[in-house]
Amino acid sequence: MEGAAISAAGIGRRYGERRALDDFSLEVPGGSVFGLLGPNGSGKSTFVGLVAAMEAPDSGTLRVFGEPPAPALRARVGTVFQENASDPLMTVNDTLWLASRLFGVPRAQARERSASLLAAFGLSDRASDAVSTLSGGMRRRLEMARALLHDPSLLLLDEPTTGVDPHERRALWAALMDTRGAGRTILLATNDLAEADAVCDRVAFVQAGKVMATGTPADLKRGLRREAVRVTVDGLTPGQLSEVEQAAGAGQVVAQDEVLHITVDDASAFVPRLFAIAPGAIRTVTIEQSTLEDSYFQHVARQPAGSVAPL
Amino acid sequence: MSAASACAALFLRDLRGVIRARSQLYSSVFTPLLFLVFLGNGVSEGLAPSKLPAGSFTAYLVAGSVVMTSVFSSTFSSASFYRDRDSGVLRMLLSSPHPARVILLGKSLAGVAIGTIQAAAVLLIAAPFVEFEWQHGVGAGLAIALLSVVLLNVLLAGLAQALASRIQTMQGFHLVMNLALFPLLFFSGAFFPVDELPTWLQVMAYANPLTYAVDALELAAYAANGDAFIGLGVDFLVLGALAAAVYALGLARTPRLTWSGQ
Repeated sequence: MEGAAISAAGIGRRYGERRALDDFSLEVPGGSVFGLLGPNGSGKSTFVGLVAAMEAPDSGTLRVFGEPPAPALRARVGTVFQENASDPLMTVNDTLWLASRLFGVPRAQARERSASLLAAFGLSDRASDAVSTLSGGMRRRLEMARALLHDPSLLLLDEPTTGVDPHERRALWAALMDTRGAGRTILLATNDLAEADAVCDRVAFVQAGKVMATGTPADLKRGLRREAVRVTVDGLTPGQLSEVEQAAGAGQVVAQDEVLHITVDDASAFVPRLFAIAPGAIRTVTIEQSTLEDSYFQHVARQPAGSVAPL
Repeated sequence: MSAASACAALFLRDLRGVIRARSQLYSSVFTPLLFLVFLGNGVSEGLAPSKLPAGSFTAYLVAGSVVMTSVFSSTFSSASFYRDRDSGVLRMLLSSPHPARVILLGKSLAGVAIGTIQAAAVLLIAAPFVEFEWQHGVGAGLAIALLSVVLLNVLLAGLAQALASRIQTMQGFHLVMNLALFPLLFFSGAFFPVDELPTWLQVMAYANPLTYAVDALELAAYAANGDAFIGLGVDFLVLGALAAAVYALGLARTPRLTWSGQ
């Protein structure tokens, strides 16, 4: 890891009365894959927009590669938006050609990089096809190829795999990591905790415009209870839920719809207690190892059980 | 990377888009031609207008049809601003290192080129079928016509861009463009001579920039300078000044998008 690629201190950003970022502070090490994790509306995308110099903070200090974000700095930044941003009427080749002209990539280099990126993202045989004829997953891969065409030092990914099936998602990340290049920093805004756990060197949990916790996924999982019990319930009463929360060995208890997620030290000892508390309400029980999601709920979603912000 | 290169890329991209969308291309050229054939011949045969400066109403309508083509074309071209915004392409363009004004310039220059090509196509297709005098010679006449069409399209592109940057929806944009441009088209001498109109309508006509484009086109194709015409010098002065002012106004207000496209 190098010095900080992005450094934010006390950033504030408002839209009218709504406070999107509030005293938001963060350091993204150069060369890292950094995940911003949080529910919808938590401020992740707002922060990414500030880094891309598409908006300016109302307060605080933001530096990208040591400089305040400015349009000229975008020459070193590649962006993948949450929604597709390629013209459906253009061909795949034309999309990359336009990106190369906008980012000043010399023609010969643009041809070479287009060919290698199309190959890396499995789009070589669709190069002459209109973007409108590509599947959703292919369009996301094209977005990645477009963002990487000028070999940016910083890649901003805003929920890049939303709506992509698991197979496509794996292929997309594999291609992205293959083409990562030395020293490129990736800032990934996502609400997919498993994805962040798999690809990020460091993550920050964001809620209500603030950074709640930051560290490596391993750091954030350390100190958690070792196991997690996922229970599907039917007709669990508030009294029974309260008993589960108070039960010996129970850590964080999160209730969402008909699912209880409970971190525990020893699942084999805890499950019989569950059946003793609510014998008729339990439909299924699954025992898992603690994940980044458990850490997320511990740090971020500290609302009362049953009112957890959706991920 | 140069702004000129980015501008040229956007220019070519929008031009290719119109060429691919053939229905738009064909309708922009053939609608005015249908106007010429049916309205021109109908009025020429039925009413035999003797006060027209051209030999027939069909010949007279050519200048108006060329102007009408430019009006339609500028409306269609500016609609690409909304298409790009709604499809997310505008956000991608604005995430490039270039100022938003460069992006707008590239797109609007494409609109000027498309409008000019389509208007010139109407003139060139109609020319063999009507009796033009070409009193300045064919080459000079075409050059005068081309210059007036370019200035007109710069003016219209600026107007369309100024409106597009202030109107949120494409439907609203089309409504305002139609409301603004159809009266201008009617009182420009495109369909009937303005010097036969009541005084108050003549005042409106001379305050109308399209009048000067129609006048220049008429002078290019079939009429010598005379009492019935404003004159090429005034036409180009008014069109040039207005085109420069309105185009600058159109580029003055650049689109602002947040990262999430709001």
